[in-house]
Amino acid sequence: MTADTPLPLPAGLRERVLDASRRARPPGRALPETPDISPVEVFERAADAFAGALSALDDAHWRRPVLRDLDVQGLVGHLIGVEDDVRRALAGDPAVAAADHVASTQPTAVGQSGRAPASTRRDWRRSADRTLALLRDADPDGPVALHGLHLPLGALLVVRAFELWTHENDVRAAVGLPGSVPDPSALRRMSDLAVRLLPVGVARVGTGTSVPVDLHLVLTGPGGGTWDVTFGRPADQGSGGGEGVTIVADTVGFCRLAANRIRPDQLAPFVSGAVAHADRILAGAAALALD
Amino acid sequence: MESTDSLHSARLSAGDDRALAEVFDAVAPAVHTTARRVLGDAAAAQDVVQDVFVDLWCHPERYDETLGSLRTYLVIRARHRAHDVLRSELRRWAREERHGRSVPPPHAPSPGEQVAAAETASAVRDAVRLLPPDQRSVVELAYFGGLSYREVARHLGIPEGTAKSRMRLALARLEALLDRQLLESS
Repeated sequence: MTADTPLPLPAGLRERVLDASRRARPPGRALPETPDISPVEVFERAADAFAGALSALDDAHWRRPVLRDLDVQGLVGHLIGVEDDVRRALAGDPAVAAADHVASTQPTAVGQSGRAPASTRRDWRRSADRTLALLRDADPDGPVALHGLHLPLGALLVVRAFELWTHENDVRAAVGLPGSVPDPSALRRMSDLAVRLLPVGVARVGTGTSVPVDLHLVLTGPGGGTWDVTFGRPADQGSGGGEGVTIVADTVGFCRLAANRIRPDQLAPFVSGAVAHADRILAGAAALALD
Repeated sequence: MESTDSLHSARLSAGDDRALAEVFDAVAPAVHTTARRVLGDAAAAQDVVQDVFVDLWCHPERYDETLGSLRTYLVIRARHRAHDVLRSELRRWAREERHGRSVPPPHAPSPGEQVAAAETASAVRDAVRLLPPDQRSVVELAYFGGLSYREVARHLGIPEGTAKSRMRLALARLEALLDRQLLESS
């Protein structure tokens, strides 16, 4: 043996070290730890951030084209319409359960044309505040049906936070302001929801295989964590035994993908294992279109 | 994404224990060998390996990729940790010598722990005896006498910086001596 030759590792040392590590810090949660916040808080923070972005606009900015055929003012009008529909959904109005997200809000969106931007901004803030007032005493686990989504209220509010964050950044891009990122606590809720909805997105694009796929997803940076998701196998049959693929990606990038604002190739993930499944899984994330 | 080290660092922060297993498989032999060569003792070296990897898992932010590779970082951590153990062992041995009796352990050691502790103490004791006189006197005053660097310097009539440098040389020499003992025993 020479001084440069590594000594053989003692038997059992690997298991001992990994077990001790997992006891010291349970896997799955990102560091630094972020405080848990409620779905209402996630939505409220997204609304406040959106309001902050609107307050930075001058009148000319409100006329900038931003999304579909809408200018910034029309997009804010669309969001006023969404708040109206959310409150109807909370009241159990079946008319909004299957309504189309765009068509249902289009009259409010186009109705902003010719109004003073300050009036549109004030109306949206009031509408969001009225929604928040209704949420204070609502059951976060209670089912809500809105625009084809059937989700517990808590999950719906995180979807709404996705929508506000995405449109906030649509507006920022349209007027040349720098993009924004939710705080880590909100981002953790958003990334967790996107991952839990991932099987829905993958089902939309098709798994493309008859064998189960076990995804180990690692989202890095603030608000991230790790998740294990199985596709192509009934939920009650557990996980494991499928073809394993690991995807490592930036948390904010993954959320932008789930909001359909970047393409999978723009995410630039690290992929290992059964890499052939990664493209379809990431296409499934984009198919969630949480905008 | 970025370099392998950068990716592992990000995965560790995300809580990915598979990344920890990958880093262990890649670097643990070097970490273990470093600890073993400093300490000479198998059980103490395994404790150092565990300390180094648990610390990496719980505090991945302490690794700064701009300062070097993850492998280098972990080997240096192992070396420092092993030196800490070595110093602690020197102090314990010195206390025992000063009091002329064994310090009661905080808990009843198992037969295996007794053997490991005796092996470590014996190896350290033998290595100290082989130090050059000027280095040995600094070690004996600092660890046997419980003196500070300043007090050691005053006692020997040398500058404090000289006392510190002799102690550094002594520890390096101890490491080499213990390493040689390990090589000869394996």
